[in-house]
Amino acid sequence: MAKRGTMGRHGEKKESLEPDVGWFSLNPTCSRRQTLKWGGLSVIGISVLGPVLAQGATRPLIIMEPALGLVVADPMKCVGCGRCELACTEFNDGKAAPAMSRIKVGRNLHFGPDGVSAWREGQGNWGNGLVVQDLCKQCPHPVPCANICPEDAIVLAPSGNARMVDPDKCTGCKICLRACPWEMISFDPDSRKATKCHLCNGKPKCVAACPAQSLSYVPWRDLTARVPPRLKNTVQLPSERSVACRQCHLPGQTKNVSQGIEMFQGWVKGGRPLSAREFGFKWIDLAGSILLPLAVVSVVAHAVLRKVVKR
Amino acid sequence: MKRIYLHPLPLRIWHWVNALLVILLIITGIQLRISGVPSLGPRHPALWVHKYAGWAMAASCVFWIVYSLVSRNLSRQYAVRRRDLKGIFRQAKFYLISIFQGEENPFRATPEEKFNPLQKLAYGAIMCIFTPILVVTGLLFNDILFFRKYILLWDVVGALNAIHVMGAYVFALYLVVHIYMATLGRTASSHLKAMIVGYEEEADEPGEEVGQGIS
Repeated sequence: MAKRGTMGRHGEKKESLEPDVGWFSLNPTCSRRQTLKWGGLSVIGISVLGPVLAQGATRPLIIMEPALGLVVADPMKCVGCGRCELACTEFNDGKAAPAMSRIKVGRNLHFGPDGVSAWREGQGNWGNGLVVQDLCKQCPHPVPCANICPEDAIVLAPSGNARMVDPDKCTGCKICLRACPWEMISFDPDSRKATKCHLCNGKPKCVAACPAQSLSYVPWRDLTARVPPRLKNTVQLPSERSVACRQCHLPGQTKNVSQGIEMFQGWVKGGRPLSAREFGFKWIDLAGSILLPLAVVSVVAHAVLRKVVKR
Repeated sequence: MKRIYLHPLPLRIWHWVNALLVILLIITGIQLRISGVPSLGPRHPALWVHKYAGWAMAASCVFWIVYSLVSRNLSRQYAVRRRDLKGIFRQAKFYLISIFQGEENPFRATPEEKFNPLQKLAYGAIMCIFTPILVVTGLLFNDILFFRKYILLWDVVGALNAIHVMGAYVFALYLVVHIYMATLGRTASSHLKAMIVGYEEEADEPGEEVGQGIS
């Protein structure tokens, strides 16, 4: 309502202004009254835009299938030659540009309490002098870069489920560079688009180029399950976003029979069925918890009846 | 009283190993199902006991199938013949009605034909349908790389879970009836003894305590 009202007034002002000042004139004159009016209108306009823009913050989480593989490095074997960086940019960008390579090899040098002076922070306060290799971890959902991207430009690669930047959608806003907790998104200064490791269609060129067999392409496995659970839940999502999590991460249980039927219909009709993860088949437990005691009771009744009739 | 050699040694050993595995799997399975895998945590003993007992169960199932095929047990003891079709109703009528009237079991176990028609059906279904289903769905949960992508692609984790749990309930139902029917021998423990020693003791003349098949 408020938005529509301002727009209307906006239109009127536009008309009344036109005789006085050319709308697009390079050197417009502006009276004090006009300054106040336009200034006030723009304040109102921006404050109305606020909630409209804020709607973006409540959009649902993007759920992505886990990647099928990722590249891992063995730092004990790496000699720091940087051929992987060359191979990466040569294959993906057609140029030798290690600075924007998706695999980032560097030396963690002793450069004072702030760590390495370049883009990477040191391990702890003091660099340890080791060669470090960093690669996209192909995060399971919530994928930080995919969730933050305002253009939904980070998509699943057709093979291997790697998270890749769709260059047609990317506008080069660099917000994913900030969202990635590992700082693994690269930016191509020539095309002005973000880019990241997409596992080269399942045949990573860095792995092929490594002369020391330090890099290997391994199946992606969620090892976070092996980490002992934390005492306190440190990750706090805003409640409106955590709704999306609770839909999938139920304590293992289910909703009802109709969903099962829906899923079965999905199978019969073909196409993508209702995600089975959305429910855990509680009705099976219900049926079992009725039938099992019933079986025990009838068996006992059989035995008792046998004894009674024998007398 | 006469003694009949019913159960050969390999089958007896298999039966009790299998029984141990089933008990382990059911206890840990109930534990996993009630509290849910995520809340138990990755290091809970129920998880690995269920996992390794499951692998052992897979081996046991394969052993039974191979043994039954090689020893022709499957075709000799489990094949349902024409006269068995009538026997199904006779046997069911016995367990539901005539057993209370003190009648004798219409079926007498012999080494050539150990099982009554109901037993054939029940054991056949459990060993040829439900155990393989449980084993296969259980193995698919082991995150085997080859199957993993298809499981994710078709999104069948929940369906596998449902089949596994349903199969487990059927197995538990079967177990209740099996254990009860094992006490229906000449004496309450005679079938149990037969499964340990191999020899079934049976009443000689009609009118004495009746031997009644397990089912």
